[in-house]
Amino acid sequence: MPALYSDVLLDHFRHPRNYGSLVAPDVSSEKFNPLCGDRIRIELKLNQTIITEARFKGDACAISTAAASLLTELITGTQIEAVAALTGDQLIAALESNIQPARIQCALLPLEALRAALSERRTV
Amino acid sequence: MEELFEDIEKLVRTEKRVAMATLVATRGTSPKREGAKMWVGEEGRILGSVTIGGCVDARVIAESERVLSSFESRLVEMKLANEDAWEIGFSCAGDLDVLIEPIDLTSSNANLFDLYQSVRKAIDGGRSAVIATSLKDSSFKLLIVEGGEVSGTLGTPELDREAQTVATELMRKRSSGTVSLANDSLPVFFEVHGPPPALIVFGAGHVAMPLISLAHDLGLKTVVVDGRPRFATRERFPDVDELLIGIPSEIAETLAYTSSTFVVLTAHDYKYDLPVLRVVLPAQPAYVGLLGSKRRGKAIREFLKDGGMDETLLEQLHVPTGLDIGADTAPEIALSILAEAVAIKSGKSGRRT
Repeated sequence: MPALYSDVLLDHFRHPRNYGSLVAPDVSSEKFNPLCGDRIRIELKLNQTIITEARFKGDACAISTAAASLLTELITGTQIEAVAALTGDQLIAALESNIQPARIQCALLPLEALRAALSERRTV
Repeated sequence: MEELFEDIEKLVRTEKRVAMATLVATRGTSPKREGAKMWVGEEGRILGSVTIGGCVDARVIAESERVLSSFESRLVEMKLANEDAWEIGFSCAGDLDVLIEPIDLTSSNANLFDLYQSVRKAIDGGRSAVIATSLKDSSFKLLIVEGGEVSGTLGTPELDREAQTVATELMRKRSSGTVSLANDSLPVFFEVHGPPPALIVFGAGHVAMPLISLAHDLGLKTVVVDGRPRFATRERFPDVDELLIGIPSEIAETLAYTSSTFVVLTAHDYKYDLPVLRVVLPAQPAYVGLLGSKRRGKAIREFLKDGGMDETLLEQLHVPTGLDIGADTAPEIALSILAEAVAIKSGKSGRRT
């Protein structure tokens, strides 16, 4: 029987990258799942058109934590416009796991927080 | 608010002079611990008790009236085993020492009254305070506030320094008692006061609700933490002192943990349990309980151990939380959890004696 979660997912859950807070983030956003209680905050440092630093913090399930960790790796040093085009399917694919439909929202929560943070930039 | 300060407030409104009786030492079986107080007013009012009533309190009242007449403190030794009740097998088999001190509540120079005002100020500021009283001459008193603030004296700077060391340890244990200083030549009573005990519950689920209600009835300050605003509501927790919503482990980092803080994790979800335990266990509160089976507890401990947590800290985790009383419903589980927390705090096993 194949493992439910990939080594990629488990590694990001056990050893999350970019976990913590930035001293003075340019933008940030916190999102939560009202029923299960996953809660993720994304903080970004921006330099004109590039995300120079990304951190996340939160108490969340393995999928959500791994997705947030992976996401911060994917977006650091990347053009903001390219990040805005990142899709949920791309993030889920990067987790290399068979995420069940009921858990898709867990994987997408960090992306939702990221998009909200970037939209905060546009409204400033 | 501590019962002591409620009693003082009542007495200030109604009495001019009162005797304050304090249980300063016990030997053998005693129904109350050192620090228990009884107040006897000149007008006849009685508040508190140094035992659980009966003939001993009656003797304390009689002695207090003598103290009010002479307006001089007395240290009274009482041998419970000599009471008549002993003859028919109903007595406790211990001895008590009770210090009885007169206080003039109308005097602008009421030092003892002022001392308790200072203690209350410390507690209101979240700090513990200790009054050290010489049992050879109770007019010698030293107030030691957590953090180093000191006023009064036991007679010499050397004695005061020795008393500060003892007081620091007793504040940690939150336990009053008599300790002999100066090479065992001077008995000093250390009366320890601290902020009220607190219960912090992580997870606003159905067990948390009766847990908070029961803790409130027991006089604990209560805090509920959850990431879900739909669960952590006033409607579900009408008695709670603080409802905190956010990232639970982040909130955990902002809370104070003392030797009077009980922490219970009721989320039954690793996503809260693991990060919160990483914060709470190293802070070493009085009790940390986790809702879940032994099997789940083993897995949680192993995960935290793999992450580098010290095994001695992991031993402080009580899982399953609660005494084994066959609890089934949420209120029964809440009762078993608080019973275990109180037993651990008191250094008791929770078994029938």
